[in-house]
Amino acid sequence: MSSPPGVRASNAQHSGMHGAPAFEDLIRRLIDAPSERQAIESGQVDAILDPLTGRSILLPEAQEALRESQARDHSLVKLSCDWQWEKDKDYRFTSCEGARIGSWVFEDKAIIGKRLWDLPFDNMSQGDWRTHRSEVKRHAAYRDLELRSHDDAGAVRFFTVSGEPIFDNRGNFKGYRGTARDISSLRLAEAASQRSHGIVRSALDALRAQICVLDSTGTVLYSNAAWRAFAATQDCTGIGLSEGNNYLAVCDNAGAHERVNGSAIAAGIRQVMAGQREPFRYEYGCNTPTGRCEFMLTATRFAGDGSASVVISHEKTGVRERARRFPQLDDLVARRAPIANRVLAAMPREEYRRLSAELEPVSLTFGDVLYEPGDPIRYIYFPGDCLISLLTQVEDRMALEVGLVGSEGMVGIQLALGVGTSSVRALVQGPGAAMRMEAGRFQLELKQCPSLQRELYRYAHQLMVQFTQTAACNRFHVVEARLARWLSMTRDRVKSDRFHLTHDFLADMLGVRRVGVTNAASALRKRNLIEYSRGDITILDRKGLNAAACVCYRIVKKLFDDSQH
Amino acid sequence: MRRKLVRDKASRPGVETVVVIRLYVSGNAPNSMRAIANLEAICREYLKDTYKLEIVDVFEQPIRALADGVLVTPSLAKVSPAPAASVVGNLSDRSSVLLALGIEGASR
Repeated sequence: MSSPPGVRASNAQHSGMHGAPAFEDLIRRLIDAPSERQAIESGQVDAILDPLTGRSILLPEAQEALRESQARDHSLVKLSCDWQWEKDKDYRFTSCEGARIGSWVFEDKAIIGKRLWDLPFDNMSQGDWRTHRSEVKRHAAYRDLELRSHDDAGAVRFFTVSGEPIFDNRGNFKGYRGTARDISSLRLAEAASQRSHGIVRSALDALRAQICVLDSTGTVLYSNAAWRAFAATQDCTGIGLSEGNNYLAVCDNAGAHERVNGSAIAAGIRQVMAGQREPFRYEYGCNTPTGRCEFMLTATRFAGDGSASVVISHEKTGVRERARRFPQLDDLVARRAPIANRVLAAMPREEYRRLSAELEPVSLTFGDVLYEPGDPIRYIYFPGDCLISLLTQVEDRMALEVGLVGSEGMVGIQLALGVGTSSVRALVQGPGAAMRMEAGRFQLELKQCPSLQRELYRYAHQLMVQFTQTAACNRFHVVEARLARWLSMTRDRVKSDRFHLTHDFLADMLGVRRVGVTNAASALRKRNLIEYSRGDITILDRKGLNAAACVCYRIVKKLFDDSQH
Repeated sequence: MRRKLVRDKASRPGVETVVVIRLYVSGNAPNSMRAIANLEAICREYLKDTYKLEIVDVFEQPIRALADGVLVTPSLAKVSPAPAASVVGNLSDRSSVLLALGIEGASR
């Protein structure tokens, strides 16, 4: 900071007389110079220079302004530090004043006359002090030199000290001026936070599940011991990753790999990050040294304010292990939505009782993919109050809905016909509860249970009718009638006049472009059949909508209704 | 705050004549601060990259100010190209600054 000499106590030094002839000469020169005189008269001048020494004679306004600015600087300095000090040219403290906060070093008057390295700081080695002393010998400024000491009560105290050399007007070194701060609370808080961080790490390391924490870009910030051990021996999608790698990028690159669909995992994690989904679960099989294992990946949003975003855990599962580990969750699912699947309800009581021992309640969330085309079927599902779309994929990008399964049917019907892989994508479109059964177990039960066989063949036929009708419908009927059919079918299955669906989603379902959906939806809205805003669809006139639907709706519905009687 | 800035914006020497100017100020006294702001605005507008401005704080370099014949602060000196010229005061009078810097046809 440049120090205005006129403001310091030694004011006379600058505005004083340095011999009458010189002063007279100055006045004469000023009067003779019209531009200088004019500038002084109009208040545009801060200082007049003494022609003998070059020292400034400040005009009153400038003097006042500089005094104020110095006072301002002074109070800002006081705000930003605990103590201000000055040292002489031998680096001995000449003054130190400031806060009284019980940190004895800088509050003790005994500091006067001592050098910084004479004080009882215990964190600086001889070498550290040598470096510091050579710095101040060069008259260099120093910032935030960190020092540690113990107070009278034996408690540890941390300080930072900053200093800047001061020179007189002739450029001679006069000493140092600087500030000191007590940063004990900061350092202690940091230490405590590190300790708790350590506890969290060792707690995570003690868990059997493989856990990692991702930041908002998908980079692995931290992984636990189980993860690291597994990563060292495996190369399953995403799991052979160490800290610093990007999990999402690895999943994206993996694409669809046998039974692990990397793209689906990446999409699910991104949804969790965006807060659209909580949590995301994905089950997959993986070859381990001890044989083939089933795993469940769970992605949960991290509710911290740091950079961490998502916690990923991989847990070994099996039907029974899962039931043992998540009994509460499954209880909850079962209680919330008593399973009301019509295929199961049609079974004789005895057989149902036997079947139900092998059934496992699950909660499905919007966007869950039960199968991808070509996936081996590992579970079959009896939907309760959820809704599953069967989509066929064309050229890897275009999707078209060919069937809709709700509580009237079963997902994975191919298995009942002896086909072990899925030809369609089964996508959860309405969240809710379902019962599922492991594929092998299902095939055994099917052999032993003629009534289940009968029910499922009947349902397979209904679904076939739905497929053929949908195929014809997609070819011959206008988008508006198809949309009305689709909304009516959805309504029948979720048994509610309100549901949430975006135009993009509807476009996929109907195999048309988004603009086609927008036009059709506006037409239905104009006829006061539906209302929609931001993806919330409300059916206003159920009968009107049924009538607006193409004939396919009534054909399929009649078949289903008849089968119930 | 050290008031010893040297702005060297002459990135293409030889393409245009570089105007070398020097402004003498007294720390951050009000007229000195105003003069810096006024001068920088004028240079940005009229000289773009073709000037070299040195700000001399007379608190720090009293002898130099004296040697340069400075009587009061703030004051502006055009060092080159010739002819040398000077303006005294906080430089709020644009036309006299432009005149001293030899910027022609600028009557704003």
